[in-house]
Amino acid sequence: MRFLGFLLAAALPVLAHHSFGAEFDANKPITLTGVITKIEWTNPHSYFYLDVKDKDGKVANWKFEGYPPNVLYRTGWKREVTIKEGDTITVFGWRARDGTDWAHSREVTFRDGKKLFFGPPAGTGDGGNTPVVELP
Amino acid sequence: MKFISIAFLLAAIPLSAQTKYPPMPRTAEGKPDLTGVWQGGSNRVGSWEEANDGTGVGGTGTAKPSPTPANVPAREPAPYQPWAAKKVLEFFNRRGIDDPEASCAAPGVPRITTIGLFPMQIVQTPKTVVMLFEVFHVFRIIPINAKHPDDLEPSYMGDSVGHWEGDALVVDVTGFNDKTWLGPIGTFHSEALHVTERYTRVDYNTINYDVTMEDPNVLTKPWNTHNTIMLRNGTRLREYECAENNADMERYEKLLKDDSVFRRK
Repeated sequence: MRFLGFLLAAALPVLAHHSFGAEFDANKPITLTGVITKIEWTNPHSYFYLDVKDKDGKVANWKFEGYPPNVLYRTGWKREVTIKEGDTITVFGWRARDGTDWAHSREVTFRDGKKLFFGPPAGTGDGGNTPVVELP
Repeated sequence: MKFISIAFLLAAIPLSAQTKYPPMPRTAEGKPDLTGVWQGGSNRVGSWEEANDGTGVGGTGTAKPSPTPANVPAREPAPYQPWAAKKVLEFFNRRGIDDPEASCAAPGVPRITTIGLFPMQIVQTPKTVVMLFEVFHVFRIIPINAKHPDDLEPSYMGDSVGHWEGDALVVDVTGFNDKTWLGPIGTFHSEALHVTERYTRVDYNTINYDVTMEDPNVLTKPWNTHNTIMLRNGTRLREYECAENNADMERYEKLLKDDSVFRRK
């Protein structure tokens, strides 16, 4: 008989909200560098917008989703201090399934090399790898 | 030789056990005092920053080296009746788009206590224990040695009454609606749900959280779980106003029409 871990499922913080897989594709990682144009410290997700220039000089405004403000504060972010409009940053995340300039953010790297997580890992809210029941 | 063996021993003892913590606080009545800010769904000792330095949800990734995941003892599957287990599995295959929390609704008991991403605060008096949760602004008021009211309407968080059995605060919860999950994905229940929680503060840092869930409409026998709730001195509850900008329902509506792009096989 194969035993399953309720504790494992419960011990990993359950992200209230949001099946990652419903909007984003863990098979489409992306890393972009650009200039912050807007930050929205909102619930249940915060957002920032990034002007990204391609090799021909054409600019696209990307939108990135991340943690709500309470979680950002506890993971080291300070509003109006850590990140401001006009800052150049590099962000790693995963693209939305719809293929537009829109993504889930994970790690932000600042110009001084400092790194902070703006969002959770891929796959959060999707229920883990093992169901809590076993069919006969 | 002696020196080496002591160093070896020290290395084998978790850091937490080497640090001096005060004894478990007790109230004037001699009961364990649960008052404080806590983190459910964790077994790590320390401040919020110290205990959340991994790369999981809410972690800072600052740990060097990365902490190894806790050794999780094997547990039996949740004892759902066969038809209900199929339904739980279907929720699992749909990766959470049916999660009742998506609408910002209160998560129910015991799920609320295992959401480790957000802190909870306990305020204890001889007659009442109050639990405040940052997530969704949820509160629980638990009168001690009281009876459930006889005019209960089904509710998300149910009705709680408590009593002390030795050092354990035992909370009886009933009067639930059927709109919440018990914890892991898809763990639905009926209005017949009856939850018994035991909060046992075993040392300065730790509450043992033992839960029995009974629901004859969906389970074959009582479902028992064990978790720990850890003290997080220096953390304060902030605001989480889930309804501000919630896009999940809109996203899920699209997928409920056609979930082929993301559902598990």
